Amino acid sequence: MAVAAKTAAGRRTRPLLEVIALHKSYGSVQAVRGIDLSLANESYVTLLGPSGCGKTTLLRMVGGFEAIGSGTLMLDGMRLDDLPANRRPINTVFQSYALFPHLSVLENVAFGLSYRAVPKDRIKARAREALATVRMEAMADRRPRQLSGGQQQRVALARAIVNEPRLLLLDEPLSALDRRMRKDMQIELKDLQRRLGMTFLHVTHDQEEAFALSDRIVVMRDGRIEQQGAPGDIYTRPATAYVADFIGGASCLPGRILGPAGKGYAIETALGRHVVPGVAGLSVGARAVLCLRSEQVALGDTGTPAEVTHAVYRGADWLLECVAGGQLFQVAHAGPPPAPGETVRLSFDPDRVWIAREAA
Amino acid sequence: MRPQSAGNWLALPVVAALGALCLAPLAILFAYSFFSVDFVTISHDPSLKNYARILQSETYRGLIARAFGSGLLVAAITAVIGYPVAWFLAKRAGAAKTMLLTLLLVPLYSGDLLRIFAWRVLLGAEGAINRSLIWLGAIDAPLQGLLFSPLATHIALTYNYLPFMVIGLWLAFESLDDAWLEAAADLGAPGRDRFRRVTLPLTAPGLIAGGLMVFVMVVGDYLTPQLLGGASGVTVISAINDLFGTAFDWPLGSAIAWTMLAILMLCFGAGATLIRRSSLVAEGA
Repeated sequence: MAVAAKTAAGRRTRPLLEVIALHKSYGSVQAVRGIDLSLANESYVTLLGPSGCGKTTLLRMVGGFEAIGSGTLMLDGMRLDDLPANRRPINTVFQSYALFPHLSVLENVAFGLSYRAVPKDRIKARAREALATVRMEAMADRRPRQLSGGQQQRVALARAIVNEPRLLLLDEPLSALDRRMRKDMQIELKDLQRRLGMTFLHVTHDQEEAFALSDRIVVMRDGRIEQQGAPGDIYTRPATAYVADFIGGASCLPGRILGPAGKGYAIETALGRHVVPGVAGLSVGARAVLCLRSEQVALGDTGTPAEVTHAVYRGADWLLECVAGGQLFQVAHAGPPPAPGETVRLSFDPDRVWIAREAA
Repeated sequence: MRPQSAGNWLALPVVAALGALCLAPLAILFAYSFFSVDFVTISHDPSLKNYARILQSETYRGLIARAFGSGLLVAAITAVIGYPVAWFLAKRAGAAKTMLLTLLLVPLYSGDLLRIFAWRVLLGAEGAINRSLIWLGAIDAPLQGLLFSPLATHIALTYNYLPFMVIGLWLAFESLDDAWLEAAADLGAPGRDRFRRVTLPLTAPGLIAGGLMVFVMVVGDYLTPQLLGGASGVTVISAINDLFGTAFDWPLGSAIAWTMLAILMLCFGAGATLIRRSSLVAEGA
């Protein structure tokens, strides 16, 4: 194919997938409102957001299951817009797995190969190799419904990767598994992506999953991208109060920017003035939030007085809920917890916390 | 008394009624099929003469073959019409689904005769179709083959029994997950392959169930060929009717009836096996 020759040249220079000004509405509901996104080759990218944020709609448009409202999709520099799903070099792992119940595991995996340039006598062997990749070769002759959720998940994965797609889409693939299984599959997914050198685009509402897997996280909200970046950036330098809260549940103390100071800004809050680093571009007088994560707040002899309302045992430590100045804070505390109702003093290291925008 | 055995006892009247009203007459009929007619009395010496006569008679074999041929043909036509209708009802009708399903069944609420005479009005020499074609100038004289022909019979049979096929297929489509079709597209299958490799095998139980119902009812239909078929209206069912009536040959009539019954039971057995095999797949025994 001519496409293959083009991709070889363009692989290093241009992104694998480009999403340009993508929109989609259902009636009066705007599911996706103007998304620009590009995916580097061989990367693991996660679309993270609560249900209804448009992440699945975006994924389904890339897969070709949903018509594009407006905008453009490019894969390897080739327009995808009018290409039906069956002609896109993209494969999907569906949330429900969507394994064909009337076919054996092996036949499921071999399904896509009959539409690739694979010699007939090689199809079974290739399907078996793919099953071996996900350690499911022993189940080749079973029916999907005879398998556990985790096993079905592996078969769905094998069925997709056997076609060597340019891009693999994963739609909440781990949401039906129990916690233990999910952890194991996360490690396997990441490992598989590295070994195959494939690009994975993964949709999830689970931030832990996004952190475990991704090279890059795209946080979505109400059909728009709220922030995108490496997991570390998103966690330590959230752009908005929404991201700070959604990722790792930071307590966001509202305030007003007094002006640039030191490496960041001086901010006036209900709990006093602080000088703290923050997102670029905040002007004097702008409303902003001071983001405090539970591990960034400590109990001490000095600091802001607060009342303890709850203490939850987490195994490694306690999570305390404290109220100061009408604001709820969460505090990770190692020692024996103060009793609810007790007054404690909260302090934080101003260099390690962060100022984010109040809204995008 | 354990609740389980109480249930068994409560079921007894139903079993008894079924036995007396349904199985016993069939058993009597079966016994008659081995008797023979001696002038005006029935001889009770058992023999296989009647079955031999059916095998040797080209007329009866022809009638039986034609009945099953009609059944297959109408089942096939209703399947072709039923597939898109059932798909639409299950996947696209949305809020209108209940109303459309009711509309589909409305013809069944009217009587057989009413529907048959409605077709006479449409297909007759002075009927709506001929009149319109003449008015349009497409033909000069009424088409005679429309009514009182196998064509008329099969049109009416298809119309009559289509709802049963649609209901069977509709149920199958309701349990067909769209994600399977998306997965097939995702894996590279074009539309016709998605139908052949996914939709068809996964709706097969509905197709077989609907097909069997249509088949059985067409084979047993008496009025439609009689009133719309003209010279072709002689069917194996009307032959049985004649044998029990004017011809007074109950034993031969019973033998033909039982031959039909045996073939139908074979068809049902085959259909049931097919459905069981495909639903084993669906439930993953």
